[in-house]
Amino acid sequence: MKTKKGLALTGNYVLLIVLGVLFALPFLYTLYTSLVTMQDVNHLAGFSKWTLANYKLFFTNDAYNVPQWLWNTVAMTAIVIVGNLIINPMAGFALAKLDFAGKKWIYWIVVATMMVPYQMILIPVYVNVAHLGWLNSVLGLTIPFLYQSLYIFMLRQFFISIPGEFIEAARLDGLTKMGAFWRIVYPLARSSLITMSILAFSGTWNSYLIPSTFTSDPTKYVLVVGLNSVKDMFFENTPLIMAGVVLATLPILVFFFIFQKQYIEGVSSSGVKG
Amino acid sequence: MMFRKARDSDFFVGWLFSLPFLILWAWWFFYPFVQSFIRSFQDANFADLGAAKFIGFQNYAKILHDQAFYRAILHSLEIVLIAVPVQTLLGLLMAILVNRKIKGKGLFRTLFFIPYITSTIAVTTVFMMLFKQGTFVTNFFGMFGFGNVTWFANTHYALLFVAILFIFQQVGFSMIVYLSGLQEVPKDLYEAGQIDGASGLQAFRYITVPFMKPITFFVVSVATILGFQIFDQIAAISRYGALGSPAGATGTVVTYFYQNGIRYMNIGYGSAAVVLFFFIIMIITFLQKKLLDEKE
Repeated sequence: MKTKKGLALTGNYVLLIVLGVLFALPFLYTLYTSLVTMQDVNHLAGFSKWTLANYKLFFTNDAYNVPQWLWNTVAMTAIVIVGNLIINPMAGFALAKLDFAGKKWIYWIVVATMMVPYQMILIPVYVNVAHLGWLNSVLGLTIPFLYQSLYIFMLRQFFISIPGEFIEAARLDGLTKMGAFWRIVYPLARSSLITMSILAFSGTWNSYLIPSTFTSDPTKYVLVVGLNSVKDMFFENTPLIMAGVVLATLPILVFFFIFQKQYIEGVSSSGVKG
Repeated sequence: MMFRKARDSDFFVGWLFSLPFLILWAWWFFYPFVQSFIRSFQDANFADLGAAKFIGFQNYAKILHDQAFYRAILHSLEIVLIAVPVQTLLGLLMAILVNRKIKGKGLFRTLFFIPYITSTIAVTTVFMMLFKQGTFVTNFFGMFGFGNVTWFANTHYALLFVAILFIFQQVGFSMIVYLSGLQEVPKDLYEAGQIDGASGLQAFRYITVPFMKPITFFVVSVATILGFQIFDQIAAISRYGALGSPAGATGTVVTYFYQNGIRYMNIGYGSAAVVLFFFIIMIITFLQKKLLDEKE
């Protein structure tokens, strides 16, 4: 019995390590390649020296404008996250804890919107953005994306699980419903809000389809779109491209590592189970 | 006092809190959604939208006669049929592996989840370097009868390349969702099973699988919808060429209407393709629900 269990555990580890290596490999390869010279790219062992030249080149080459792209990306991501952190929880709270005429309709709108693939409306949204003169502007990349119905749905599930007594107690202490939400419920939702922020952060930081459609001026590119254009220009310069990949990926990884624990908790508690 | 009371009513606060969402939704979702339907019956070019005129079902008729559209649907279906079962089963397996009491499970969870939050363009770029002719990856696959070629530039392998990429990125999400589900299964069920002499495989078949049914439905439908929406990977491997390179081998429904609607600025035509695409997804989601319900 005991050996059988031990055997199963060993099998478990073997499988995990095989999968782990498969998953780590592309990232290790990226990091390694970004730190070597062009001559060493094809040798996994016996390289001549480490170098940071690829990163330096990325920031100084005039053919592209990485600091500007980085700034565009940060501005876009920050605005979208702040919007989502305000608008989604408010709507989620109204749908979970308040009882008002029209609520059913709003809930139905949220669920139906979740099901529609965004590509379906991309063309008319593009036309709207163009009409407002927002192409090649941070406005076009942010204003239409300040809310996400999926996150409203997730937050609603979480708010339902918060006992009504919390809100009652807050109201006995003289808070209004709005006050109870911002002061009591909102801080309680921390792990759900972090989950949402990680998804919104990676979704926005990494988005390609929309920024590449809404921008054509290279100074207005975001990092991912810029990276793709550099890749097309310098496809044979693997170390340079890989340095770019590391630069585009690093902020997400840092963000995730900081909030990792709350993230897993958040997924479990906001329950995709519906 | 009266005013204060009204201001604190569920009705007032409910609508006030829903309003920011509703306004954005109306302008940036509902209005475009309706427009997509209307435009699909128009001959509309982005260069001169004022000149758009109603042409009934002509766009639809033209699409239904376009061989490229059928190829695009076929390619999307192929990706979904390869990727969705693999990422669902693999996701469940990985969730079971990292749900056990083992050392370093946090590390493995993170490792498996990272591709999901990494930029698709970045991951595609790396995979393009790895799947070039003569690298250790293509040499390795060569041992199993695959041609030692540059996968994404080969008309036979490019689509498989896209599917592998998609699985690599999405499987971590399936794992996390299953993981949250596994933690809901009552522990005593397994204990009871053990007492009755059920093997590990039997416990999996009769306890885990039935419990995971709603989760499986969620994972499969999300994966299907996302599989049909694949775009970034294809845009990245197409480089400066037409979308769907090489030679249309990776053209999907999304690249089809993107190419026609936005690159060629034929908005009416592109919108009609989108509407058709929307119905295809609805039908498939519906069929999946039926299928999973009957598998009782």
